[in-house]
Amino acid sequence: MNLDVDLRAREDVPAWLAYGTPIFTVVAALLVGGVALVALGVDPLAAYEHMFVNTATTEFGIVQTLIRSVPLVLAGLAVYVPLKAGLWNIGAQGQLYMGAVAGTWIGVNVGLPLPVLIPLLLVGAGVLGAVWGGIPGYLRAKYGVNEIIVTLMMSFVGVQLTSYLVRGPMRGGEGNFPVSALLPSEATLPTIFGSLHAGIFVAALGAIAIYLLFDRLRLGYEITYVGANPDAAEQSGMNTFRIYVFVLALGGVLAGLAGAIEIAGVQGRLRPDFSPGYGFTAIPIALLGRNGVPQVTLAGVFFALLEVGGSSMEIAFNVPAALIDVIQALIILFLITAEFFKRYRVSIEIQRGQRAGQAAEEGA
Amino acid sequence: MATTFVAGLLDATIRAGTPLLLAALGELIAERSGVLNLGVEGMMLVGALSGFATTVVTGNPYLGFLVGTLGGAAMGLIHAFLCVTLKSDQVISGVMLTLLGTGLTTYFGQAWVSAQIDGFQKVAIPVIGPELRSLPVIGEAFFANTPIDYLAMVLVPVVWYFLFRTNLGLEITAVGEDPETADTMGVPVFRLRYLCVLLGGAFAGAAGAHLSLAYSKLWVTGMVAGRGWIAIALVIFANWRPVRALLGAYFFGGLDALALRSQGLDIAVGAGFPLAETVNGVLGFITHPQIIGMFPYVATILVLVYITQEALEQRIGAPSALLSAYSRELD
Repeated sequence: MNLDVDLRAREDVPAWLAYGTPIFTVVAALLVGGVALVALGVDPLAAYEHMFVNTATTEFGIVQTLIRSVPLVLAGLAVYVPLKAGLWNIGAQGQLYMGAVAGTWIGVNVGLPLPVLIPLLLVGAGVLGAVWGGIPGYLRAKYGVNEIIVTLMMSFVGVQLTSYLVRGPMRGGEGNFPVSALLPSEATLPTIFGSLHAGIFVAALGAIAIYLLFDRLRLGYEITYVGANPDAAEQSGMNTFRIYVFVLALGGVLAGLAGAIEIAGVQGRLRPDFSPGYGFTAIPIALLGRNGVPQVTLAGVFFALLEVGGSSMEIAFNVPAALIDVIQALIILFLITAEFFKRYRVSIEIQRGQRAGQAAEEGA
Repeated sequence: MATTFVAGLLDATIRAGTPLLLAALGELIAERSGVLNLGVEGMMLVGALSGFATTVVTGNPYLGFLVGTLGGAAMGLIHAFLCVTLKSDQVISGVMLTLLGTGLTTYFGQAWVSAQIDGFQKVAIPVIGPELRSLPVIGEAFFANTPIDYLAMVLVPVVWYFLFRTNLGLEITAVGEDPETADTMGVPVFRLRYLCVLLGGAFAGAAGAHLSLAYSKLWVTGMVAGRGWIAIALVIFANWRPVRALLGAYFFGGLDALALRSQGLDIAVGAGFPLAETVNGVLGFITHPQIIGMFPYVATILVLVYITQEALEQRIGAPSALLSAYSRELD
């Protein structure tokens, strides 16, 4: 038997494939997740029903999902913006931590009334985030140093630095715990509905601003152009140096905001492990929504729903919420598999019998 | 007192260095063929849990080590399929495999959290072992280790020989530098990349199994604790060379061991020393465990910036075709 696999690049993607892919990938990931539930002796239908319906239809579930989607959407955009220029920001986690450090420091040490202190705290977080993202951007633009590795390494440096700060210079509060002092009420984001804090406006404004950047501004167009073909962009007079530094610094700003909002809106003080991997979850979010800012936002809210639903499933069914990580990873793994079939037409020809075998031998 | 401290530190260095060395050797092989594997952390976790669970059930750590290695290889197979056959982005595939490995092991690992094993015991080298073991300072560190620690040391020259002295190894380098030319010369690009990514996964799985079977002899959720990322850094730090990976692994492993011990370490100069307060402040800062923990990452960034200078890149830089999928007549 001889398998002949023939690949041809598709010229256009059929509509069912283009629109069906995200749905197909989510369903496939949930199916495999269902197998994992069965393995622990849990009825997958009941678990999923609890996870989605209970979360999406109760006030508590909706509020928690919105709170969770604030850092996820901002961090998702922090990966999305550089990706438009063809750069990977896989260090959003560290930028998020540095934003949290700057925000906490300003919140604890600067005594100003709330309407001044909150914006100041956010600006500080954005600036330190921009520095953390801008360094890999500069190294990439100036020396061609691989930004994937540098953003990643900078991320771990940021997390370690935070860990040092809450044990040393920024340690506060009572007891021997590695935490910062509690933020005063002037540095705490006001709540607008239940425990939903005003950070959601920052996330919404951030998403709108990024949308307008790519939809209305020349700069956004240049970013997209550089991402599509950096050499052509350089030749047509665009400054790729500026673009590379800008996209990674802007990514850092967005992630930094996410970190400061998480402290000022939810945590109340800096802890060395305050972020459950928001910066890494940002990568699948940016990929799932890579066709546009509204899609990134939706993906962020969807992942927030998964995470909130996952925690409530953990309590109700006594299964680890880590199932959500598996489902999130599978969604992306199936998505990139489907990408392949979008790009190529695959036709498999099976020849049987002696002659096929001989033909293969002659060919070799 | 100082001798005991150094001997203890050296001993801990070897044990902390082994998983870094194993994972870095695997990553090095994969990267030399042109495939970056950011899934090491996840693969190590899968190796650690599958190896541990097997050992709990069978009582045989060797079988556990084998299963852990195969578990890592299975994850490597997914990476190879996605990056080589489907030509997906290597960054996405790798990061997602880390997420998948973390999720799967956290999910299925809970049942094994309080299980206990005997694991691998320290053994001396046959015949001359006992004499070597009684050497001062270095004896315990180098000549009283688990079989896996010795295996990791032996694998360094093996991998070096494989990569630089065998035909297959040179073909792998060719594939990593210029897959198109290699293909024209009749080198099986796809098959070699599969082989290298599989080996990378297997080594990562073995590294994880070392952690749960020889290092801590426990399963703890997320127990790899960033060592997979350090292994990736280490490959760059070592300029894609096995012997430098050995030195780097024990260096980073030593830092890890030092970070654990630095709190009991009281390094300070006397009050009579010029600028005593400043000097002691600086010493306290650089021996802080969290600051020591930063070192591998900072060093890797500096090395990467240094070797990206063009003249140097020709000689010691990354494989030229790293991160690019190879396809024959498509596009």
